[in-house]
Amino acid sequence: MSNAPQILVIDDEQQILRALRTILTEKDFKVTTASRGEEGLTLAATLEPDLVILDLGLPDMDGVEVCARLREWTQCPIIVLSVRDSERDKVAALDQGADDYLTKPFGIEELLARVRVALRHAASRKGEQSKVVKAGLLTIDLAWHIIKRGEEEIKLTGTEYKLLTYLASNHGRVLTHQSILTHVWGPADADHTEYLRVYMRQLRKKLEEDPERPQYILTEPGIGYRFMADE
Amino acid sequence: MWTSSFPGRFGKFLLSIAFIASVTAVFFVLREALDTTLIALLYLIPLGMITALWGLGPGITSALVVFLAFNYFFIRPYYTFTVHRPTDVVVLVVFLVVAVVISQLVANAQAGLAAATAREREATQLYELSTALTGLQNDHAIAQILARQIQAVSQGEFVELRITGPQPFTFHVPDASPPTRTPELTVPIESARGVLGEIHLWRATPAISSGERRLLQTFASQGALALERSWLVQAESRARVLEESDELKSAILSSVSHELRTPLSTIKAAASSLRGREVSWDSPARMELIAQIDDEADHLNLLVGNLLDMSRIESGALKPKREWNILSEIVGSVLVRMKHLAEAHRLEVDVPESLPLVPVDYVQMQQVFTNLLSNSLKYAPPNTIVRIQARAAGEMIHVQVSNEGPPVPPEHLERIFDKFYRITAADRVTGTGLGLSICKGIIEAHGGHIWAENLTRGFVFNFNLPLVWDGAGPTQIPMDPEAE
Repeated sequence: MSNAPQILVIDDEQQILRALRTILTEKDFKVTTASRGEEGLTLAATLEPDLVILDLGLPDMDGVEVCARLREWTQCPIIVLSVRDSERDKVAALDQGADDYLTKPFGIEELLARVRVALRHAASRKGEQSKVVKAGLLTIDLAWHIIKRGEEEIKLTGTEYKLLTYLASNHGRVLTHQSILTHVWGPADADHTEYLRVYMRQLRKKLEEDPERPQYILTEPGIGYRFMADE
Repeated sequence: MWTSSFPGRFGKFLLSIAFIASVTAVFFVLREALDTTLIALLYLIPLGMITALWGLGPGITSALVVFLAFNYFFIRPYYTFTVHRPTDVVVLVVFLVVAVVISQLVANAQAGLAAATAREREATQLYELSTALTGLQNDHAIAQILARQIQAVSQGEFVELRITGPQPFTFHVPDASPPTRTPELTVPIESARGVLGEIHLWRATPAISSGERRLLQTFASQGALALERSWLVQAESRARVLEESDELKSAILSSVSHELRTPLSTIKAAASSLRGREVSWDSPARMELIAQIDDEADHLNLLVGNLLDMSRIESGALKPKREWNILSEIVGSVLVRMKHLAEAHRLEVDVPESLPLVPVDYVQMQQVFTNLLSNSLKYAPPNTIVRIQARAAGEMIHVQVSNEGPPVPPEHLERIFDKFYRITAADRVTGTGLGLSICKGIIEAHGGHIWAENLTRGFVFNFNLPLVWDGAGPTQIPMDPEAE
């Protein structure tokens, strides 16, 4: 078990630390915990963990700041935890380089899914990036620019294609409105959420079986979007 | 008392003399036809009139002038001040005494009348002031009326009120900066509890009389009474608000503890039976208990969330994070989440995709639809239709969530949006009693309006929302040409 991924959990609530340690250890992760931001940063520097789970409400410093300080020197995935209704904090943390978020209270399956996605993305950053993303009936060939539903090829406009490939190459991860807008339309249009709403609707009409109940492009209310691919 | 006096003091004397001169001229013409004693008697009439019109000073002066003129023109020998006949001496002396006495009597009567009129005017002004101040509970309004009345009564060039007390402020008429010199009159606004402020009056001419000073002091004490009354009323209403919020707090606590304890008891029972090995490892009951713990934990989370939202709405901290959104997408996402709850009903959704974009907080609007739907599902009988409909109407969007449930008594229609308000007994329907008031809070924070109505068959929640944000619609969205 020496190559089991190392996870650092930074949270000031002892009950959460206890629960996460139990569950993650059970799932064959190596778990280290810290209850303060400074302590977490020190541990991260010495342990170089494979993933950090970070609570945004820490007693000594702002979680968003911990996120930014980590990003100064490491690309290891960060999953932030926060309470409901703090969309602004979540978006701030994501824009500071956090990879994903979970709202307390969360189900453990959700957490494990996020951890798996984050670790896979970290691995693909280092090595080969997969060129074909499969999601249900959809096949997205990022190298050949071909999108198919079953055997049928789907025609997309330039913007739609840019949007879909950005989402698909980050499948499983949440992407904030701002990061999508900046990536697809450019920094000048980073506030025009209405572009996203309208283009997402078009994209869903072309890709989803029921655009009102999307399976592939999910809305993260108040945060952004997430593309769900097969594991 | 303060009316400008025309003619002036000097003018009155001149007028009196002129009057006497003209009367004398008339008598002079008739000198041969009239007896001297009759002329003396007739002279008393203009003298009385002069005193009545212009006061004691001109009256006495005129009497002396008449005394001389009478002697000069009408008592033989004419055109001298010498008197030959002893009867004429008597006539002259009696005339002078009678003239002076009449002048004084008339003047006294006049002064008495003037004082009575002044007192009556003062009383009227005080009455007007106290009527205007009655029932006022706003310090600024009180100061305004007091200053205006003082200005009207004193004809001063500038009146300033400095109110100390809980929120000190100054008020002045006219609306300009006060004169640089020190005010001619300063009167404290005083009550039994101390000084509440000061009145400053600027009026260089005419100088302020003691009567005016007295009247202004009376005005000041009227003002003090009004201010004190207003402060007492304010203090009382603050006390009442505190008391009511205390009552509300205990209502919240009892409702909340009841609502929180229900899921907690379920969780405790399920968890302890799992722990106590009373349920065998592979029994189907085991899965059932675990599902219960999971569901009730979600329910508990929802309750806590509602409470937080409510406290945000109450404290005015609920600020929508507006973005241009597609309403049908929001409704769709709510329906996906609530699918398992809506199984017993038939849902009809009529929210056209072609509706304009709406400037709303996505998460908050999800909550509005969730709460309205779950309320509708809770009260409508199974297998009936629950319908969501949205239409654009001018610069608003109008949304209806209707069901075929029982009507709500008309007197409850307004109050169902109050917090903790229930038509049915609390133990018959689960929930926090907060859902609808949260909807109201969210809709109103978006600049919209929510109301409920009975239908001929069923019940409907209506709300509307503005389609403009800061006075504008969404920006034009650059669209790609469709690929071949």
